[in-house]
Amino acid sequence: MLESLFISLQLALVTTVILLLIALPLAYLLAFKSFRGRTVLEVMVALPLVLPPTVLGYFVLVMIAPDSTLGRSWGSLFDSSLAFSFSGMVLASVLYSLPFAVQPMQQALRSIPKSWLEMASTQGLGLRQTLIQVMLPAARGGVLVAAVLSFAHTMGEFGVVLMVGGSIPGETKVASIALFEFVEMQQASEAWMLALILLGVSFVMLSLVYTINRKGLNMVGGR
Amino acid sequence: MKNRIQIIAQIGIMRLQADTEFSDEIIIVSGENGAGKTTLLRCLAGLDDSEGQMLFHGKTWLDSRAGFVLPSQARQIGCVWTDVALLPWLSVAKNILLGAEFEDAAWLLELAGLLEISALLQRRPSMLSTGEAQRVALARALYKKPSVLLLDEPFSAQAPAIRQRLRVVLKSIQGKLNMAVIMVSHDVEDAAKLADQHWRMREGRLLKEIEMTGMNKVKQA
Repeated sequence: MLESLFISLQLALVTTVILLLIALPLAYLLAFKSFRGRTVLEVMVALPLVLPPTVLGYFVLVMIAPDSTLGRSWGSLFDSSLAFSFSGMVLASVLYSLPFAVQPMQQALRSIPKSWLEMASTQGLGLRQTLIQVMLPAARGGVLVAAVLSFAHTMGEFGVVLMVGGSIPGETKVASIALFEFVEMQQASEAWMLALILLGVSFVMLSLVYTINRKGLNMVGGR
Repeated sequence: MKNRIQIIAQIGIMRLQADTEFSDEIIIVSGENGAGKTTLLRCLAGLDDSEGQMLFHGKTWLDSRAGFVLPSQARQIGCVWTDVALLPWLSVAKNILLGAEFEDAAWLLELAGLLEISALLQRRPSMLSTGEAQRVALARALYKKPSVLLLDEPFSAQAPAIRQRLRVVLKSIQGKLNMAVIMVSHDVEDAAKLADQHWRMREGRLLKEIEMTGMNKVKQA
């Protein structure tokens, strides 16, 4: 049981770090730029919100299968299979939690007053400096919320990781799947325990989100 | 140094037209609300798009025929807008230093002294009065010693006594830094005490004061 919890935490942590790096440029694009294919990109980012996790999991599985292009190149690079591995689960989790990382950041970036960005450019700040000195501090609440939600949402995955990971004990069997198996095998006390722990983690995570939102770490708006 | 602008811009329903030459002097821009004063400054700052030519300090800012636009970042300008846009998480001193390549403590202190904000340097913007915030924004605009200073009613929140002193300060800094100052103001005192040139704007067109005297003025009346 502890093993599966540890895998869940590890998966959530790695996924969150990767997501923050990927989501920031995406959120920036969606918040400030208009370009061809914008709507398509926005839809792609939001798709995991409505798609059955098993559908997403199935596509990822097909994509990383050992005889696929990605699976073959991964295999020749690392001499291991991407399907039914921790790395494969990370890939699937990143896709699955993408909207939870992109959308809070996108919203936070969009709510930065235009006058601040104009001030940055007339003060001679380039894009990189503006990002570091103005946008990120102004949107740091959104970035924090994105991190917490990505983490919590990854902890709560079931269908996707089952599909892609295959529930290998000690490797890809995460807590939510372990719980399912406890129930199947009628191990009530273990099931109770794990369910309570997962409930607690989610509760703490969401409390964090609401506290951040209330305290207005965004720095934006009339407080 | 000769500066030259010849621009046309269409911003919403406003059609802006300006064609003029000036040296590094103080220019007061006045005109009714909606006459295009702020729009003119925004075009000069590169925040709104315009077409034509701009030449400042021997440097081309805009040459539409060649398809060239110098971005705001590279124009070496200092701006004070009616929305002062101080960043709330930075101290006053850090706000003033924003975008500067290095910290020149002596210059920062001198500027703070001149603009009467020395005591405020460690405060957060949320602890400033509107007038103080405006002076901090002016300090931020001046700190980088810009070649052109664009001011949109920079003294609007200042009490009469300090406004008087700020005019003297602005005049002396302008002389020292050799910069062109283009300042929107409704205050006749600003025009009387500061203006080397006085521009009037009407319905988006820039009219020089000189064109408003004599026959034109009679016609207008």
